[in-house]
Amino acid sequence: MNKFVKKFLDNRWIELAARWLLGATFIYASYSKILAPAVFAKIIYGYALFPAILINLLAIVLPFVELVAGLALIVGFYPRSAALIINAMLVAFIVSLSINIIRGHEFDCGCFALSTDNPSTFSGPLLIRDLFYLALGGYIFLYRNSRRLCLYSN
Amino acid sequence: MIPAANCQSNHYNSLQVCLDQPMKTVKEIGIILGLSIGVALAVNYFSPSGIALVGQWATSQGVVTAKGKNDIVIEGIEIGTVDLARKMYASGDYIFVDARSAEDYEKGHIKGALSLPVGQFEDRIAAFLERYPLEVSIVTYCSGRTCEDSHHLAEYLMELGYDKISVFIDGFPGWETEGHPVE
Repeated sequence: MNKFVKKFLDNRWIELAARWLLGATFIYASYSKILAPAVFAKIIYGYALFPAILINLLAIVLPFVELVAGLALIVGFYPRSAALIINAMLVAFIVSLSINIIRGHEFDCGCFALSTDNPSTFSGPLLIRDLFYLALGGYIFLYRNSRRLCLYSN
Repeated sequence: MIPAANCQSNHYNSLQVCLDQPMKTVKEIGIILGLSIGVALAVNYFSPSGIALVGQWATSQGVVTAKGKNDIVIEGIEIGTVDLARKMYASGDYIFVDARSAEDYEKGHIKGALSLPVGQFEDRIAAFLERYPLEVSIVTYCSGRTCEDSHHLAEYLMELGYDKISVFIDGFPGWETEGHPVE
């Protein structure tokens, strides 16, 4: 690896910035879903990928996994495991988005602004954004230096 | 704050730590997920906007809904078939009211139906109240069984005192598919 890049990635401030950015993003993403679980449940229904019995449970639990994992990243509580959980969610989002892009199924992305008024959100940019977050999560997971402002790690 | 020593790296890289200590990682993930699930269920139980653990997601059973505590879907006022709606329409005793947006209404609606978009309810209700006494029988509709707007409209009208309200859940698409009068 390029020496400069390695030095950049090993920088403790860069790791902190990545952790805070990813953590804040997931906390922000969880906010409106927590306030309106019924709306979020309907968006999950709109994906047409999940069995009816799971839709409400996903709508209840998923936003809190986002919130708790996001908080864990920010305060540095098991940051590697929190990054793993967030990456697992991102992979699930990417797969869900991709399946619906491929089969031409239109739906509300349900990502930040929960709106049922505009169900035909273009999914391409969302996919790129999720891939970017996935890279951030991977970086936080693989980071090997000591971490700044970290409550509890390995 | 636990001392920063806890955050020091060891001689392995993270992947190796994870692979060498899989149970540790599983335990950490378990703690984070367990905390999330516990808080989620507790908040959902106490929150006024909480939802049932299993929703109603079969269109064959009526309008789909997460069955929230503040749910506006009232099954008792639903007209379950297009045929029944057609009979009510033919009797001439009911006013059909379209809850969809003005644009959707312009594109096509049940013949003779009035437009009262849920999003513009406050702007338009004064004229409606002036024209229709509280005793009239109303049928609301929107764009089918995945749409709650007709139930929202029914709720708003009931709050004003209209009490003879039904919701035609198959809405405009169901009506049009059966070849009933549109304009």
